[in-house]
Amino acid sequence: MTMAGAAGNDLSLPPLSANTDAGMRIPFVTAASLVIIWPWLSTAALAQQSNSLDSASPQAKSEVSPNDLDGRKMFSSNCGFCHQDGGRHAGRGPKLSKSERSDEFFVERIKKGKTGSMPAYGAVFNEAQIGALLAYIRGLDD
Amino acid sequence: MTFKERYLAGCAVLAVAALVTVSPTRAQAPTQPQEATLNAEAAQNDWPTYHGTYKSYHYSGLDQINAGNVKNLEVAWMHFPERATRGIQSTPLALDGVLYYSGSYSRVWALDGATGRTIWSYAPELDEELVAKQTHSPYNRGIAIGHGNLYVGTVDGRLIALDLKTGKQVWDTKLLDSKKVTVGFTGAPLVVKDKVIIGAQGGEWTGRGPIFGVEGKTGQKKWEFFTVAGTEEAMKTWGGDSWRTGGGGGWMPGTYDPENNAVWWGTANPAPLYDWAGADWKKSGPRPGENLYTTSVIALDPDTGKLKFYHQELPHDAWDFDSSVGEFVMIERGGKKLVVHANKGGHIFVYDRSNAKIENVWQLVKNINFVKSIDPKTGELIGRRDLSEGKADPPLCPAIAGGISWNSGAYSPKTGLFYRIGQEWCMELTVEKSTPVMEPMAQLNIGATFKFIPPPDGPARGHLSGRDPVTGAKKWEVTYKYPPLASVLATAGNLVFVPDAEGIVHAYNAETGEELWSRNNGMGHNAGIISYTAGGKQYIAVPAGWGSLVADEYVALYGEPFKSMSKNTGALVVYALRQ
Repeated sequence: MTMAGAAGNDLSLPPLSANTDAGMRIPFVTAASLVIIWPWLSTAALAQQSNSLDSASPQAKSEVSPNDLDGRKMFSSNCGFCHQDGGRHAGRGPKLSKSERSDEFFVERIKKGKTGSMPAYGAVFNEAQIGALLAYIRGLDD
Repeated sequence: MTFKERYLAGCAVLAVAALVTVSPTRAQAPTQPQEATLNAEAAQNDWPTYHGTYKSYHYSGLDQINAGNVKNLEVAWMHFPERATRGIQSTPLALDGVLYYSGSYSRVWALDGATGRTIWSYAPELDEELVAKQTHSPYNRGIAIGHGNLYVGTVDGRLIALDLKTGKQVWDTKLLDSKKVTVGFTGAPLVVKDKVIIGAQGGEWTGRGPIFGVEGKTGQKKWEFFTVAGTEEAMKTWGGDSWRTGGGGGWMPGTYDPENNAVWWGTANPAPLYDWAGADWKKSGPRPGENLYTTSVIALDPDTGKLKFYHQELPHDAWDFDSSVGEFVMIERGGKKLVVHANKGGHIFVYDRSNAKIENVWQLVKNINFVKSIDPKTGELIGRRDLSEGKADPPLCPAIAGGISWNSGAYSPKTGLFYRIGQEWCMELTVEKSTPVMEPMAQLNIGATFKFIPPPDGPARGHLSGRDPVTGAKKWEVTYKYPPLASVLATAGNLVFVPDAEGIVHAYNAETGEELWSRNNGMGHNAGIISYTAGGKQYIAVPAGWGSLVADEYVALYGEPFKSMSKNTGALVVYALRQ
């Protein structure tokens, strides 16, 4: 009710963003534009995402946890159907926590999907949103 | 008569004789099922509609293959479809010795029912970019035949008519803007009189889940019924503007009751799927109210698309237990005309066919805790468990895949038993207070994270039982380590066929449940199974090919054989008695 009303959605809204440029650009995107594109993200969270994109370093993990709310909510709405227990357990899709896959692999898979297994989100989520998802995944404990 | 006249007349006689001799049926081959065939209890030589006949028994009146000789059943022929992404999920149709079936990407084949020889094939051009963004894609669950056409829906929102004899496209009507609403059509259409009826996918997506009535001859849309707030009355059951994004849909085919001129259809769950309002769901949360006509059975007038009557099986469904699953079994008992319908939550609802008033509700599945019970007199949910934000304790039973899935059961008028597959599993669940997902193609609107776990009474498993369809009284039951996800076939040969998840097709004695025959098709089944005749001989046709969304859960639940089972392979396997 309130959610739908607040968004004023009549099913004719354009996608949240159609930023489909290849590669990770988050460090170069201004905080202001990201706030517009993804209003829940704080600039502090963005800084953490930049860190977390480099690797699953202990620093990134520890910094992600307090502010991973956005990634977590995005994950539960869009990804949790297949990646169970918030990504900690295999389901329709694989377990994601403690994955040895590279960040690049994750970003590429989120964008392009896999035929018959995972939908492509490249035209749905912008770089910052994908960054938030990645940060959430990298911050997962088993 | 001159010599020339005699010659011409002779030629004409010969020509007619040749037609009759060479192809007695082809000369006047029907291009649509007869009404009497559609209204019969048993499918006979043909399998003219998804559920067998309008009575929806998934029952063949053929008995050449029977309990006495089923041990001699062997593969007659096979067909391998191209691009079997997510296996095969469809139920074939058969008419006049020709078998028709669909595969992923809405590809369709017409095959000689006796030999498997390809008569024609059809592959529509789909919006592949769109398909790549969909989760519930690109499988197709079935087709319909009528008006000289074959009908198939597409995941990019179209309904297509093909000439039944040639496979040439007759029309192609875009019914849904799938780029906007994310979903398209995967369910089989249903032919009723001059119309072809098809329901949209829905549930977790933020549309209004329409069902369409389209004119068979022209492809013109004649009506559209919104399963979300489709009437003024229904609009009042959605707080605020939540009706705009309510989900719903009708992703499996219903059936037709000619006596009441009513199309029965099951509708999908509302969105977001898991609501965090808890007990206050009538006033708060993302979709306050009963959310009509989601998770309901509805009866529509096929001529106008107007609602005649309905019953909402789960008011304000907070568990994803659609009414879209479940065929509408039309039986008579004690002078009463009834409809038996399975709900995904694991209960079987028995209705008065004239008005959808509850006659009984019984439980097929053992592990259910989303309600304490459902009143068998009124259908009221007793002790419903409405979830709040946070972890659900104890875990929710059944799991999101349901106690009953979309694969159909069967009813034998000969034994009086209803054969239905049930699933026993639960899940740990944490409900998130999320913002409804509005963006087109942002998949799913779940609002929770979850994990499948075994139920309290044993391992995650499945079962087939033979029961009285009205009371639920059980005559026999077979348990499976892995719940079968394919439809069941009953036959007048006193047989019940179950294609299972491991890849084995079982034939049971319909009276006792004793296994009489089995064969391994080499990959799991998540499609239908039918029987028909070609050249006077009975065949059993079963598509094999694993990869439905419920099937995907089996890797984490069970490991092998599912871990290494292909999800991109399929075969239509047709059995007949050894000569």
